[in-house]
Amino acid sequence: MAFLQVNHIEKHFGSTKVLENISFSMEKGQVLAIIGSSGSGKTTLLRCLNFLETPGSGQIVLNDEVLFDGETYHAISDEEQRKKRLHFGMVFQSFNLFPQYTALQNVTLAPSLQKKQSAEEIDALGKSLLKKVGLENKMDFYPCQLSGGQQQRVAIARALALHPDILCFDEPTSALDPELTGEVLKVIKGLKGGDSTMIIVTHEMEFAKNVADRIIFMADGVIEEEGTPDEIFGNPKSEKIKAFLAKSLETI
Amino acid sequence: MLTFWEQFPIVFSALNEGFVQTLKLFFITLLGALPLGLLISFCSMSKFAPLQKLTRMIIWIVRGSPLMLQLLIIFFGPGLLFGVPIWGGGESGRFTAAAVAFIINYACYFSEIYRSGIESIPHGQYEAGQVLGMTKRQIFFKVTLLQMVKRIVPPMSNEIITLVKDTSLARIIALQEIIWAGEAFTTTSHGISGQVWPLFFTGVYYLAFNGILTILFSKLEKKLDYFKI
Repeated sequence: MAFLQVNHIEKHFGSTKVLENISFSMEKGQVLAIIGSSGSGKTTLLRCLNFLETPGSGQIVLNDEVLFDGETYHAISDEEQRKKRLHFGMVFQSFNLFPQYTALQNVTLAPSLQKKQSAEEIDALGKSLLKKVGLENKMDFYPCQLSGGQQQRVAIARALALHPDILCFDEPTSALDPELTGEVLKVIKGLKGGDSTMIIVTHEMEFAKNVADRIIFMADGVIEEEGTPDEIFGNPKSEKIKAFLAKSLETI
Repeated sequence: MLTFWEQFPIVFSALNEGFVQTLKLFFITLLGALPLGLLISFCSMSKFAPLQKLTRMIIWIVRGSPLMLQLLIIFFGPGLLFGVPIWGGGESGRFTAAAVAFIINYACYFSEIYRSGIESIPHGQYEAGQVLGMTKRQIFFKVTLLQMVKRIVPPMSNEIITLVKDTSLARIIALQEIIWAGEAFTTTSHGISGQVWPLFFTGVYYLAFNGILTILFSKLEKKLDYFKI
């Protein structure tokens, strides 16, 4: 059984089908990139994994634990849902840092609310994570004093602080100026190799090619093609992905 | 006939007495309307449609009609409708009726300010809290509350300064606040007759008090200046 197993996920907004029969799996330590044009359902899929959206049907199984089952979903309490959600971390396109807290407080807030560790341990954890993302000099800065790239790195540290099994990135560099994307992608790349398992929705094709172990190409709510970067970029099969890649690699 | 300087101490102490009543009404209204307004704002955003509709109708009635009329209805209404004057007689009865009318009126205004504050928080803040495993309560108190407060300080200070001046409406039910006390000297009060200056002089009290409030609010705004939303 794979580490993460997603089976037949469906999601409709009213009569619009956003996700149709989505199934895929991934192993621990892998990096999965999801690419595709806007409106293809990439972000919705990621939001379903984080329980920010509720799929209409299907199953999400992580490490042999059923996190979501369309059949029994209604019986789950808020408390249980919060526990299940913690298996996934999320880094948003628009960072969503808490503006009234410093970089360090943003990272330590959630662990300190969980009260599983002492304040000193949490503080040390926060500092080491900010160091990991290269912000040891900005710990006491407020988000408004940081650049977009720095804010996103704080957001990555914040997500890591809860030790999620799988860290999800929703177009982490789309809101950034081109000169700031590099520093964020470098941090994400740096996380690879440890035991971090990551799912990255991205428009950065070069990045997906270099960092991902597997790539999913989505179009119109379905997985159109899945494979290794070499297969997807080197030898794409479907017409849709050929058209998409031609567009995204087009030089103007 | 007393000279101005002979009149002054008499007028001063009468106005002070009236101003105490003004301040009492002001603070009691705040004490009641600040929390009640929060409750009303939650009801007006309720997902339970009947409660939401009912609350918004009450807000429409209270904001849509003059406070002076509401004072009269609350003070005289119970006696006229049921034959029971529930407020009791005398200054304390009038004060209770005035306080009830002011609290209801201002709670409705505050509730709309709260609502604007709550609805102005970007949805991403809630989602960030959710994916970090926070409970709804934790998200409210640890994440959104302070951002809300920062947003509503300017409109709240506006409304609270208006409240200071609105307390003078309570003289319609003969509550002896400062305008009432000043006006009394235009006929006869404390042995002084036909003097208009005490009424004009009440403006000094309002200006001084609102000056203090303005300073306090701008201090609070500065205090919350360390972060941007």
